[in-house]
Amino acid sequence: MNRRNRGSSSSSSSSRVSNTYGNRQLSDNPRAGSGGGAIDSFRRRADVVPVKRNNDKDESDNKGEDLTDVSFIVGTCSSMCPERERVTRERLRDLAVFERLYGNPSKSSTDLAVKKFCRTLSAADVQASDVRPLPVLEETLKYLLSLLDSREHPFEVVHDFIFDRTRSIRQDLSIQNLANERVIYLYEEMVKFHVISHKRLQSCSGTSISPMHHLNMEQLAKTLTSLYNIYDANRKSDSTHENEAEFRSLYVLLHLNPSSGVMGEPLSLWFRKLTFALVKSKEICFVRNLLRFYRMGNYKNFLSRIASEATYLQYCISEPHIREMRSVAVQYINSVCYKLQPYSLLRLSQNLMMKELDVESLCHDCGLETCTDSDGFTVLTTKQSTFRSPEDKFKVYDLIGIERMKR
Amino acid sequence: MAYVSMGEAHRRITEYLNRFCDAVSYQDSSTLCRLLSFSSNSPPLLSLADALNLFQDASGLIRQSDKFSEFGEILAHLFRSLQSYRVGNLVEAYLAFEKFANAFVQEFRNWESAWALEALYVVCYEIRVLAEKADKELTSNGKSPEKLKAAGSLLMKVFGVLAGKGPKRVGALYVTCQLFKTYFKLGTVNLCRSVIRSIETARIFDFEEFPKRDKVTYMYYTGRLEVFNENFPAADTKLSYALQYCNPKRERNIRMILKYLIPVKLSIGVIPKDELLQNYNLHEYTKIVEALRKGDLRLLRHALQEHEDRFLRSGVYLVLEKLELQVYQRLMKKIYIIQKQSDPARAHQLKLEVIAKALRWLEMDMDLDEVECIMTILIYKNLVKGYLAHKSKVVVLSKQDPFPKLNGKPVGS
Repeated sequence: MNRRNRGSSSSSSSSRVSNTYGNRQLSDNPRAGSGGGAIDSFRRRADVVPVKRNNDKDESDNKGEDLTDVSFIVGTCSSMCPERERVTRERLRDLAVFERLYGNPSKSSTDLAVKKFCRTLSAADVQASDVRPLPVLEETLKYLLSLLDSREHPFEVVHDFIFDRTRSIRQDLSIQNLANERVIYLYEEMVKFHVISHKRLQSCSGTSISPMHHLNMEQLAKTLTSLYNIYDANRKSDSTHENEAEFRSLYVLLHLNPSSGVMGEPLSLWFRKLTFALVKSKEICFVRNLLRFYRMGNYKNFLSRIASEATYLQYCISEPHIREMRSVAVQYINSVCYKLQPYSLLRLSQNLMMKELDVESLCHDCGLETCTDSDGFTVLTTKQSTFRSPEDKFKVYDLIGIERMKR
Repeated sequence: MAYVSMGEAHRRITEYLNRFCDAVSYQDSSTLCRLLSFSSNSPPLLSLADALNLFQDASGLIRQSDKFSEFGEILAHLFRSLQSYRVGNLVEAYLAFEKFANAFVQEFRNWESAWALEALYVVCYEIRVLAEKADKELTSNGKSPEKLKAAGSLLMKVFGVLAGKGPKRVGALYVTCQLFKTYFKLGTVNLCRSVIRSIETARIFDFEEFPKRDKVTYMYYTGRLEVFNENFPAADTKLSYALQYCNPKRERNIRMILKYLIPVKLSIGVIPKDELLQNYNLHEYTKIVEALRKGDLRLLRHALQEHEDRFLRSGVYLVLEKLELQVYQRLMKKIYIIQKQSDPARAHQLKLEVIAKALRWLEMDMDLDEVECIMTILIYKNLVKGYLAHKSKVVVLSKQDPFPKLNGKPVGS
């Protein structure tokens, strides 16, 4: 794996470039810039404040001139981890398993060390040599995502490493205020990582999983928000970026339940900001329908639509709600159906897009008993008083129809 | 611009300066208000602006006199702002007005009594309006609009000045409302939270002390926030308060309140009279109300689609969408009533097949599994009383009150 040739940033001697309005040097790719105004208004960032902040006080002293004169660092670090950090961490034996050369806890290499996320970052301490320019970040992300298939370590360990190192990538992007089309791709990949982790962490066990899950959701929300800002910054008139509709739809799925407590605005407010094109897009219409079914308690349509139309990412995010809708269905049916007509599990499984054995298991999770009727079919007798919500918050049953989804 | 002589210009400026300083000395708030109200575009202000643009050295004039120079800084910024405003240079006008406002607020702090509160209101109003205009100018020049955001910061500062124990505190609600308007316009509605917390929990404030007009505006905005957050009982309380105490002559304001109150009321089963919708020009709700009355699902869907953009923008779309269950309930009731007329003995049995047929008439094709699902929901959420004999594919209605009214509570609570 040759990652020596990372390319370097455009400036060699000066590490800071003063960016007056409309004059940016962001990356090697001339195709990648877009309208200055939108990018300059791009301020909100995932984790860190730009090196020099433009504040209102400076502005009004500017005798009415409206130049937003902000300097952003242009990184010059040509490897995945700045040299001085790698050396320090080798010395302190602070290397993750993936960074160790032949398992040696105090030796790494430029091919293995990846820059860590640093929470206490003060603007004064940042040097250009510590910051990775865009091409290096792209290589770094590619490398990190390749680790996802690793079978050597349990998933939690892989997730933890990629979680931290991608956060550092976002930090570097933020310091340099990078917001062009290539950055969109990076953020989309990082969102995908968080979504898939969201799913995979559920089948892991251990006491650290729940907080890990929670932190992952938090970063998923943050990364999504940043991604949306970059979409907006790169938008020309009413255009929509290639994957934007799908990634916007994820927000809706995260907020199906108004009291879910996920970071962000309530949906009613969020919809106001969508462009006309987005509102009418296939993906947004799809999730708006799901929202309607969910809010109504319409388990049948909710589940069948997801099974037949959702993308893999949409499915992953919806998993908790699929679980929820299934227990809701069991709850409703147990409550309203005629006691003398037990409900066939086969039928239930068809409505809930589940295997029959899984439905039986679900009923038991909900504290309900099943039995066999005189014809030998498994049934649920209704009006049982022992219904409760399933305790295991993470147990997942397959969704029939999921096989068609591309990963 | 009409021809003005230097002498005339000098006269106008001096006259204004005298009026301003006298207003302060004699604590004449209403005069002061008139002197500061740029957006009124009053002839005296416009002609003053012309005079200033001609004279060019108003600061010299101010310095010459002790009476005027006491407010030198305030007046210098004010004049600069007015000059820019007059020639349509709105960004400049805003920047200068911001400086004026800062200086004015400093003076205001030193005045012990609350005599200048009305004038302060004018300053707050003007700064917001000027900021909006300045942002428009910035956007049309391809630059990023950030003056309204700056105005928001200044308004917060003013709020801080008023949030004390003295008589000035009754002004805090007015400033809060200006902040609401600012945040709503900017879309940063979450910023309302901190100022709401101050108003509602700080001990220095007694809500009843505030002027009625401000209370109505406050309840309108906080009511709207509750709609966004889907807290319908709270939204109902606040918006109803605003409606009750709003000046009945202010038809535009009443319409604005109703725009949000109607969906909230609909969701708890309260239907407005047609005259109300007509009188206040709220036609977008006509078909929805009709759909609820008739149990016509197709009409509801159609109405939602027709005004989709409008409803999404005002944030009531999701509220209205939820009415679907009530429309279903109404439809079931109609089927029941029809059956009662033809075959009373068996009217309380709703066959799923019959329901599916009714839905097909409404151009909604559903298979029996879907119909069963809908009926399950209706029964569970107490919109229909009875049980589902699913093998027989029949819903058996309770003999007593099979379609309970919502009675002021949202569905399913």
